[in-house]
Amino acid sequence: MGDDAVFRALADPSRRHLLDQLFERDGRTLVELTEDLEMTRFGVMKHLQVLEDAGLVVSRKEGRRKLHYLNPVPIQQIHDRWIDKYRARHASALAELKQDLEGG
Amino acid sequence: MEIATLAKETLSTPTQVYQVYIRATPERVWQAITDPEFTTRYFHGSRVELKLVAGSEYRGYSPDRSEVWVDGEVLEVDPPKRLVHSWHSRYDAETADEEPSRVTWEIEDLGDGMSLLTVVHDQLEGAPKTAQSVSGRGWMYVLSGLKTLLETGEPLPAFSE
Repeated sequence: MGDDAVFRALADPSRRHLLDQLFERDGRTLVELTEDLEMTRFGVMKHLQVLEDAGLVVSRKEGRRKLHYLNPVPIQQIHDRWIDKYRARHASALAELKQDLEGG
Repeated sequence: MEIATLAKETLSTPTQVYQVYIRATPERVWQAITDPEFTTRYFHGSRVELKLVAGSEYRGYSPDRSEVWVDGEVLEVDPPKRLVHSWHSRYDAETADEEPSRVTWEIEDLGDGMSLLTVVHDQLEGAPKTAQSVSGRGWMYVLSGLKTLLETGEPLPAFSE
């Protein structure tokens, strides 16, 4: 739920690959997700659990199947907190530089 | 894929799922979803009016109530846990011609004044334009606004694409 869990979850290539797969086609079963990975079903299950704990993946029962969905909200929150902020400073530093150069 | 790209461009599939933790009781989250005085402050200014009775109308009006942006029917009501309604986007001509889709709000009580809100927008097979327009930033802006409003008492700044 916190940033730490999200960063930890993203710090693994297999888990990022799972997210990319869900991005391409959302709402997949464990079996479908295992097909594309050279990993045991148990391995994929473990990775999915880490992604679910971080809130990046949400699983829902549909009839007898359990489907996995990408939840984009935590990534948006990381983006707002960690990317927009630094980009804004970078942009304002450039604006100041322009002002200095043009004003000076 | 870069993280920023992933956040920005979510594919439009027939089912979209969004989940957010909110520091507020389920009752407060419920009120924010069903009370137009709250929805105007995070739902693109829209006044959402509905009766808590299955089979009644669901309406999302423009802020001055002169236009209907979204209409639908209340399908299930279980305060403060679950609200299901159909969704027909009327905000532009292209989406107005589409089939209605369905929105499910689920509020899970996590105790200690915390809730987990899950929004599922599905049955979008007959509404690809709607799916595209609500996907990614669409619902995320609404849910971030709802979270911010409940946690700080202040709405998010107005959103421009």
